[in-house]
Amino acid sequence: MLQIKQLHAGVEDKPILKGIDLTVRSGEVHAIMGPNGSGKSTLANVLAGRDGYDITSGQVLFDGEELLELDPEERAHQGLFMAFQYPVEIPGVSNSYFLRAAVNAKRQARGESEMDALEFMTFIKEKIKLLHLEGDLLTRSVNEGFSGGEKKRNEIFQMAVLEPRLCVLDETDSGLDIDALKTVADGVNALRSPERGFLVITHYQRLLNYIVPDFVHILMDGRIVKSGGKELAHELEAKGYGWIEEELAAGARG
Amino acid sequence: MSVSLEAPAVGLDSLTQIASALPPTPLRAAGLEAFRRSGIPTTRHEEWKYTSLRELAETSFVAASATDVAQLDLDAWLIADGPRIVLVDGQIAPEWCRLGIPGLDVRFGDRLTPTDRERIGSVAAIDATPFSALNAACHAEAVMIELARGAVIEPAIEILHVTIAGAEAVAAFPRLFILAHSEAEATIVETYATIGEGVTFTCAVTEGTVAANAHVEHVKVQRESEQALHIALTEIRQEGDSSLNTFSVTYGGKLTRNDLNIFLNGSNLHCRMDGVVVQNGGQVCDNHTRLDHAFPHCDSFEVYKHVLDDQAMAVFNGKIFVHLDAQKTDAKQTNQAILLSPSATMNSKPQLEIFADDVKCTHGATVGQLRSDALFYLRSRGIDETQARAILVYAFAAEVLEKIECEPVRNELERLLYEKLQA
Ligand SMILES: Nc1ncnc2c1ncn2[C@@H]1O[C@H](COP(=O)(O)OP(=O)(O)O)[C@@H](O)[C@H]1O
Ligand SMILES: [Mg+2]
Repeated sequence: MLQIKQLHAGVEDKPILKGIDLTVRSGEVHAIMGPNGSGKSTLANVLAGRDGYDITSGQVLFDGEELLELDPEERAHQGLFMAFQYPVEIPGVSNSYFLRAAVNAKRQARGESEMDALEFMTFIKEKIKLLHLEGDLLTRSVNEGFSGGEKKRNEIFQMAVLEPRLCVLDETDSGLDIDALKTVADGVNALRSPERGFLVITHYQRLLNYIVPDFVHILMDGRIVKSGGKELAHELEAKGYGWIEEELAAGARG
Repeated sequence: MSVSLEAPAVGLDSLTQIASALPPTPLRAAGLEAFRRSGIPTTRHEEWKYTSLRELAETSFVAASATDVAQLDLDAWLIADGPRIVLVDGQIAPEWCRLGIPGLDVRFGDRLTPTDRERIGSVAAIDATPFSALNAACHAEAVMIELARGAVIEPAIEILHVTIAGAEAVAAFPRLFILAHSEAEATIVETYATIGEGVTFTCAVTEGTVAANAHVEHVKVQRESEQALHIALTEIRQEGDSSLNTFSVTYGGKLTRNDLNIFLNGSNLHCRMDGVVVQNGGQVCDNHTRLDHAFPHCDSFEVYKHVLDDQAMAVFNGKIFVHLDAQKTDAKQTNQAILLSPSATMNSKPQLEIFADDVKCTHGATVGQLRSDALFYLRSRGIDETQARAILVYAFAAEVLEKIECEPVRNELERLLYEKLQA
């Protein structure tokens, strides 16, 4: 469903992504691991369509369509969802209003009828239960005054409500205690299905104990330097990123 | 020697003529004298630096005097189903009023008592501004609104001011006094509206006192037409242990100038001065507020938010005086603007003058565009850019309206905000 081919992107004159190749098929969970500053968030942001990045070359196809030519909202309508590393606070806009606007925007884009307030409430109450969230989440302003854990759970909640086909999770585990991490992982696992793909971005292997990936890729300095199965994450955990660097250096010498 | 270009006298002459045509009273005479002294201020006047009154000075006005008042259709301007005071062209229209509510007495004309007459002009000085003087000179009759001790009036006391526009430029001079006795509780909404097309000038004065332990919410709504000039002074004196929340909401008008002065004349007072200004096209809105903390242990909160599109221009000038005796004052002032167009302008000037030493006073001002991170967040969830902007702008302004306690009034102002933003 997602094909990234030789993607180069950066800000101003600074190259950040230096030739990414990655294919995600329906039903697969891919983990992207990498040290801070390796370009993980840049990759997620470029996929979601955030302004401010120059895409210097390469191509991204989503179901065969050029993703990079779409507006962020069109990408969402096509079924892309990014859980933000730093969710944004929006005072004055209630979560329920925000979500209904999002759900209806997507339905409208697909030629489906809009949900009225009542239908929406019934639909959303189930999702709330699924994620063990507090009911007052809906009346509170989007992320305003939320703790770090609440913000991340709200991201997963939005994901559950919007039912995307490709989910990009940018360090959804960072700053979570173990209970919150499990809740988040449960939420993600509940959404796993043969029709849905996942790109789980993380710095630590910890999350991958709960969301077991099919593939693991290591991103360093804007390149995927190593790919493998879930055991690669364990290896990385045991040996650290230094191990990869040494291996790469040895490769370059040999 | 250069030839000096005098401001045209057309406006001034026509306004003084309106005053001269009325039966003389001491109040009118004093007003006219003060107005003659000040004239129509120009932008050289510090208090009028950004707001030009050229159109006012160049227009010849006649006194507005409606006929067929009973035939008017006022539904669009009315909000709640409670007591109602309607003024048409600055004069009370008894056939539209809904009075006789226990605890609320409304007096005008012959029913004004000698004490009422003494009160009128006692809070808002006749020469407080050039236009309070003009109002004193030209008002047809003052209306006294008295809330009895302990009266709790629901849902809201609605005061509707309509000016009827026509072929000639008309001027109206409504004048109110709100007298809230101790322990009274009420929301008072003053809506200003125009019917018909043509230039209008509303020159209004509302003065009032809020007695001990009273709790008053005062909401002023500017919904006049885009040909309307509007200059108003609201001046209120608040006594010990009372609370007063004021909201000034400006959606309409071509040029709106509000002076809002509140004098905190006692201890343990709470005062709120909030404002929402949404303007587009060539609309101009100038809010000057003044808050005097004269006694210890009072809180004041002031938040003014502006949404400006096209060539709209707004001014916020917020003065807070903390007098020598006003120890333990807690005063917080914020003014914010979102500019939706590169040609919209915001001029803001906070002015805090603090003479007491043990106080907490803060002020902050921001002018900017919508936050790009918030915009991207909404869009990434599928909400298109136009709608995402609308949601953020609405939320920005609605945050102030949410503080209005009276629900029907709050809901109506939110609905009107939504409508205005669609324009
Ligand atoms: N908008 C930006 N402006 C300047 N530098 C940026 C910007 N975004 C990212 N970078 C830089 O690009 C590199 C990769 O950043 P990022 O994608 O956030 O990495 P990661 O998410 O892996 O920590 C870092 O050196 C970061 O400082
Ligand atoms: Mg990151």
